[in-house]
Amino acid sequence: MNGRAYPLTETTSDIERRPPLGQVAVVLMGLAIGILLLGIQLWLLTTALDLYLAGQGTYMWLLALISGLVFVGGLLVLRMLARHPHLTPRRGG
Amino acid sequence: MMKKSEPAPVRTERTRGRPRIRRWQAEFPYHWDADDQVSRRELLRFTVMASGALFVATAGIAALSYLNPLRTIRRQAIAKTTDIPPGGASYFHYPTSEDEAILLHLPNGRFVAFSGKCTHLSCAVYYDPASGNLRCPCHDGVFDAQTGSPLAGPPQRSLPKITLQQEGTTLYAVEEEPQ
Repeated sequence: MNGRAYPLTETTSDIERRPPLGQVAVVLMGLAIGILLLGIQLWLLTTALDLYLAGQGTYMWLLALISGLVFVGGLLVLRMLARHPHLTPRRGG
Repeated sequence: MMKKSEPAPVRTERTRGRPRIRRWQAEFPYHWDADDQVSRRELLRFTVMASGALFVATAGIAALSYLNPLRTIRRQAIAKTTDIPPGGASYFHYPTSEDEAILLHLPNGRFVAFSGKCTHLSCAVYYDPASGNLRCPCHDGVFDAQTGSPLAGPPQRSLPKITLQQEGTTLYAVEEEPQ
């Protein structure tokens, strides 16, 4: 967007949500950490498959537990954002 | 960078004075300069969904491992202890008829067995009594006869060790455990 306000349809209203001024970096860092955790989950999955094929399933529940904790953390963040969206009104809209 | 110009108005056709909304406009009502954007919230939602899918897959594999473990303990008689003198070796196949393995009677009287496939490129290793090591002829890989760990050459990983059981004078290979 070039900074000017254009009328958008209702279906695109969510792209008009902006984090509070000065917190864009925090939000982007949160997203980056989330994507990094997703990569760790992918690694846990490949490790679990590797252990399964090697016939060593002793500590596999631990991998599933860590993966589950990451997922629950993501759900909590989504829930938190749904409760506190922190909408910044668009200027000139 | 190209400077973005004023967004083009949605094209509509006028029929009898009224603008007619095309079908694609009704089904995909995105503004032209917004249709290539994915909001942070959408990205986060997608990430959490992907995270859930990865968790389900990991938990599924863990459950499968608990309910239907792939590891099967197989027992196979491989040699008589009296047939192999100290410092000697015997070759056999384990766990399948296509997997080469090697049984060693070490000079200290202990019996050890390893997979016979070199961990570099799967050539067959042999016991070299002169050096007391296991050697791979393809690329001059050398393994320790006591532990199976690589000593020289391109191999980086140890030879998988085969657990042995002795009943009387008969030696059994019990399972193959990756190191």
